[in-house]
Amino acid sequence: MDKEPEKIIELVNVKKIYRMGNEKIYAVDDVSFDIKKGEFCCLLGTSGSGKSTLLNLMAGIEKVTSGTILIKGKQIPKMSENSLARFRQRYLGFVFQSYNLLNSMTALENVEFPLVFKRVPLKKRKRLAKEMLVKVGLGRRLHHKPKEMSGGQQQRVGIARAFVAKPEIVFADEPTGNLDSKTTIEVMELIRQMARDNNQTIVMVTHDRSLATYADKVIHILDGKIQSIEEPAAENLPEETKAVECATEEIMGEEATQTTEEVKKEVTEKFVKEMKCPEPVQTFPEKGKVAVRVVKKTKQFHVPVQRNGKGKQ
Amino acid sequence: MKISDLLKLAFRNLMRRKARTALTIIGVVIGTISIVVMVSIGIGVNRSFDEMIMQSGSMTIIRVQKYGAIYDEDGNYVDSKEQVLDDSVVELIKGVEHVKAVSPVVNKYVRLTSGKYESGVTLYAMDCDVFEAFEFPPLQYGTYPTKENPSTIVLSPESMEYFYCFSGNNYQEKSIDPLTEKVTMQFQEYQTHPRKKEFKLDFENVAMMEQTDNWEYSYNIYMDLNYFREIWKKYANSLTLEDRKRALSSTESYEEIKINVDNINNVAEVQDAIEALGYATYSEMQYLEPLKETSNMLQMVLGAIGSIAMIVSAINIANTMVMSIYERTKEIGVMKVLGCLVRDIKRQFLLEAGLIGLLGGVVGILISYVLSYLINKYGAGIMGSLVGTGTSGDLSVIPLWLPFAAAAFGMLVGVLSGYFPARRATKIRAIEAMRTEG
Ligand SMILES: Nc1ncnc2c1ncn2[C@@H]1O[C@H](COP(=O)(O)OP(=O)(O)OP(=O)(O)O)[C@@H](O)[C@H]1O
Ligand SMILES: [Mg+2]
Repeated sequence: MDKEPEKIIELVNVKKIYRMGNEKIYAVDDVSFDIKKGEFCCLLGTSGSGKSTLLNLMAGIEKVTSGTILIKGKQIPKMSENSLARFRQRYLGFVFQSYNLLNSMTALENVEFPLVFKRVPLKKRKRLAKEMLVKVGLGRRLHHKPKEMSGGQQQRVGIARAFVAKPEIVFADEPTGNLDSKTTIEVMELIRQMARDNNQTIVMVTHDRSLATYADKVIHILDGKIQSIEEPAAENLPEETKAVECATEEIMGEEATQTTEEVKKEVTEKFVKEMKCPEPVQTFPEKGKVAVRVVKKTKQFHVPVQRNGKGKQ
Repeated sequence: MKISDLLKLAFRNLMRRKARTALTIIGVVIGTISIVVMVSIGIGVNRSFDEMIMQSGSMTIIRVQKYGAIYDEDGNYVDSKEQVLDDSVVELIKGVEHVKAVSPVVNKYVRLTSGKYESGVTLYAMDCDVFEAFEFPPLQYGTYPTKENPSTIVLSPESMEYFYCFSGNNYQEKSIDPLTEKVTMQFQEYQTHPRKKEFKLDFENVAMMEQTDNWEYSYNIYMDLNYFREIWKKYANSLTLEDRKRALSSTESYEEIKINVDNINNVAEVQDAIEALGYATYSEMQYLEPLKETSNMLQMVLGAIGSIAMIVSAINIANTMVMSIYERTKEIGVMKVLGCLVRDIKRQFLLEAGLIGLLGGVVGILISYVLSYLINKYGAGIMGSLVGTGTSGDLSVIPLWLPFAAAAFGMLVGVLSGYFPARRATKIRAIEAMRTEG
């Protein structure tokens, strides 16, 4: 079994130079790093350090001056506008600092919008958008226009919109930039929760050092350059992974008709009680499989488990 | 995006600025009305004109007459000259290109009597082989004369209408049915020999033409030329010696040579060719040509007036779309980042512009029908005298294709004027769009 998750984003010697008359501004200066699948990555830096530019380069919104950006093995800077749009439909979500909701549309319609581009049938996309809004706690604000909602509520609509198509990667540019500290925590929890539920990769830009605690990997940026990459050490990773595998296999082997909830409960009990795992266990369905992920501190890893019963999809 | 979603979105965006959209649509409505009404008047006038042409005889006929008129360069009558028209001239004209049929024409004023009633008509004698080529109308009864059976006299409907009778102070008029009543024909030109019997021809074989709009075939009677020569000889024999000679020599040359041209557009050309041979000609076409030009001119002027209004409304649509794109710059940027295809952005704006055009077109057509009705009801007299066609036909005619053409045209104008703004929208770079406020 693959122990090391695949690299989903890879940057090599990426540069972005703005020319202002004769002056060159190195907004992003020779940056290389990679992000693994399922990772929560935080780009941290002061104002004007080039975080937004870097994020925009990754999302293909801005063109690189030089260097390569690979997302899911695809050269983003070399893609045509059309294939980039399709790529975004399929794999990318975006949360904006200034929400960028369409003011003429209700919360539901805003969330539905990315699915409209994907040609998802009307009923299905209404249902998905509604589910997503319920998940972010706006079940009673479906038909409100952005102007009729608070900043935090608008940002939650924005998050719902970014996650509704279940993209593998979500880019978030200061998603909490306009929010107070309590709402910030709410929104951050929400993002982390959703990302974990679907094994999504998050790339978040912030200048708020305290938010870095949510991340698996923190990339410090100063004047367009990477200062350091902080990655909380993975203690005893191999053993734990093995333990999870054993535990889940044991349970799954016995009862094939269990629902996901039942699996979750049993695994949780086993881990928390028998293996003294400090944080709860999460399970989530994936095509024909049930994957179980154990969370410990800020470190996470997941193990796919074969299952022949019909999990609660 | 699906078409249904694009349509919904386009509608929604139009509804966001109701007043502006309504004003733009009104522009298209006015444009459509002016085009449809103007074109319909053009068509109406042309139709009346065509009716007029139909009534004034065959348009492809050219006549070379014994007394040919001479005109100066401006087309004013100066003088007339006598030209000798004999068989050699007929042969000469037969050689001219585009000539479909040529026949010498002899016309004689004849007196018809039936009982105590009498009437005078003009007898035309022509080569019976070319009757068909001259588009003689169908017959109510009888058959046209042929070489084998040349003695049929072809009557036009009104030639039998106005028989009159003077008895004392009493004037009576009646129409004769040549099938049941005996009709006799007499020539009147020369003195009958005092000792000879007056020449009379009883109508035996007659054919009757159907009533047509063409006046040529409304009042006269027709006969085969060879048969005419036969009876003319008999007539000549009944005359005094002196007159007999004159009568016989008079038929050696013709009063007129009639030419039918293959196509109405070639009449002027053939006429010129015959003039070049040295003969003065005459045709109805010659007088109607300038009239036709006036009518065409009128149609063009009306069309141009209509088009100007439509062009203004096209500019109006383009302006609305440009404004709309300015307002929605940020929205376009967001849509692009959310994965909207460039194609769909373009389509959306084209659809909005097209919808404005279509809506304006449809409303414009509906109002045009009302206006057309009102024009025909109240405006016909005024405009009729202005245009100079005194016909009773409708002044404004909307043919079935016109509303469809106008709706399609409205939509086309919308799409065309939306095209460049739409292209501009697709060129907006997401990064810059997102930086703009709004
Ligand atoms: N379009 C542009 N033209 C010229 N310079 C630009 C442009 N966009 C960004 N820059 C410059 O690039 C640098 C990085 O900008 P960027 O927006 O990435 O900063 P940031 O880290 O996101 O800052 P903040 O936290 O304030 O959002 C800045 O010095 C900025 O002036
Ligand atoms: Mg920024």
